[in-house]
Amino acid sequence: MKLSPEERWDLIDRISRETVSFGAYRHTLKDAIGELTIKPMTGIPIAIAVMYGFWSVFGSFAGFFTDGFFVRLFDAYWLPWLQEVFPGQGRFLYTIMVDAGGIDSGEFVLSSNCLESFGVLTSGLFVAIGIVLPAILIFYLTLALLEDIGYMPRLAVLIDTMLHKIGLHGYAIVPTILSLGCNVPGVAATRILETKKQRFIMMTLLAIFIPCGAQIGIMQDVVPDLMGWILLYLIIGYFIFGYILNKVIPGMAPEFLIDVPPYRRPMLSNIGKKVFGRVKGFFVVAIPFVMLGCAIVGVLYQFGVIRFLGDLLAPIFVGWFGVPAETAGPLIAAFLRKDLAVAQLSVIEMTKYQMITSVVLVSIYFPCVATFAMMLKEGWKELIGALAVLAVTVFAYGGLIHLIGILLGVA
Amino acid sequence: MAGQSTSQTPSSSSSSTSSVAVIYFAILGIVTVAAGVADLLVTASGSEFAYGILEVPNDLFRGGWGGLIMLFAGLLYLSGVRNMDDIHQFAKVTMGSILIWILSGCDIFARITESIPSSSEETGPWFNTLPGFIEAYAPPYAPAVLLLPFSLVVLYYISKRASGETRGGNSS
Repeated sequence: MKLSPEERWDLIDRISRETVSFGAYRHTLKDAIGELTIKPMTGIPIAIAVMYGFWSVFGSFAGFFTDGFFVRLFDAYWLPWLQEVFPGQGRFLYTIMVDAGGIDSGEFVLSSNCLESFGVLTSGLFVAIGIVLPAILIFYLTLALLEDIGYMPRLAVLIDTMLHKIGLHGYAIVPTILSLGCNVPGVAATRILETKKQRFIMMTLLAIFIPCGAQIGIMQDVVPDLMGWILLYLIIGYFIFGYILNKVIPGMAPEFLIDVPPYRRPMLSNIGKKVFGRVKGFFVVAIPFVMLGCAIVGVLYQFGVIRFLGDLLAPIFVGWFGVPAETAGPLIAAFLRKDLAVAQLSVIEMTKYQMITSVVLVSIYFPCVATFAMMLKEGWKELIGALAVLAVTVFAYGGLIHLIGILLGVA
Repeated sequence: MAGQSTSQTPSSSSSSTSSVAVIYFAILGIVTVAAGVADLLVTASGSEFAYGILEVPNDLFRGGWGGLIMLFAGLLYLSGVRNMDDIHQFAKVTMGSILIWILSGCDIFARITESIPSSSEETGPWFNTLPGFIEAYAPPYAPAVLLLPFSLVVLYYISKRASGETRGGNSS
């Protein structure tokens, strides 16, 4: 039997009348709250509050484990025990594995804490377990909660207009926030963006302006009172350089369509699986690099390479960036381990503004080795392009921060 | 949001209670705005302010960022109290309370995490003593913590509205 289009529509109407019951849809409180979190007038204050909660819980949780237990475990028990039992105090292997120490009146002096010892088994282990693990755990737990409640798509919609100014769209919030945990999954997540232009902009901004969980954890530990200023400089840089990249790079930046789900009660098993998978992934990918980076930095220090490069580049650091000459060493070492570089910077005597500049420089300096490898996987042309942008950014933004300091009379 | 919306028809019982609710949340909104402004002013001036069990935080994070959220919470209350029987207006009042819960929840969580480990950094006990643990919860408190019990009143109105809707849904 063949039906005309009109007959088909009549048939559809008849079937739907018999099978579908219609009623008035009543807006629930959940729906209304869902709408409030998307409208800019109410959504932005709510987003500011959610981010406040995110960072407050992050700081309290990470501080609880790191300052409450791990600092004491590593500094008062682990470090003294290793310093005593590891053979060959002051020799090459000892300085790489346990304690680089220092020389005072011609004598080898042991370090008093794990952040200053720079050994693989002391600083390396302390950074990985004592600082990064709690930070990463709470970061991914909170992120999973926000995702499963249904807040993240709303944040994407809310921030869409702002991200369009830098050639991206609301979905770019996913790689950005993931990168705050670890840049590696952040770079992988850039694949959700549609065009090459968007992926390049996103990857470059992640590598330069988004500090990873390891770095945030150590900043929270050693320079907690400066965190706000450092993050502010990074956020401003993210948008300034994103805007420039959007103007300079050819290509399309399309709109996006997103299905915003209703708010839901999160399922504990889902949260558990997500957090476990992400923390496991971070440990498998990033922890070997933490330990290896620590060893390489130690070897380079022992052979005087970092001191040589530091002396060579010190005039640039002092003259252009306005930071003390002593920061040259840690800033060179930041090529390998940003977190350890922040720890090294924290013991150098300098003004607050110089500390802010130094830590911002460490952040925007160079992607960590794991991120570097991940970017290479995305394409060598993109990697070279991102590195070229990075070099220009470091000099331009570092100089700009110095200039702002001079104008404010604090540099 | 899913589907199309229709405006709410307030039941007679919810209308009768709404005048009390309006006055209550309007006062709460004014107090919350005042607390937010106080947070911001104290932070901007860099001074300290404590009175009885109240202590206004003056650091950039809790006083500045937190103060701004407190101000938003108060404004949400004040903007929501007009025609509170409408679900969208009531959602604003609820959201004001949620912002206070975020602020006070973070403050309480910070106290819990600080109260458990021992304050000694060298070798010694790992956990705080019982008096030290209890002392960590002693006043003074931030404005958000003091406003927490008052903000919880919204739960009564949420449950009342939910039961009203259930009755309305059954009868229709």
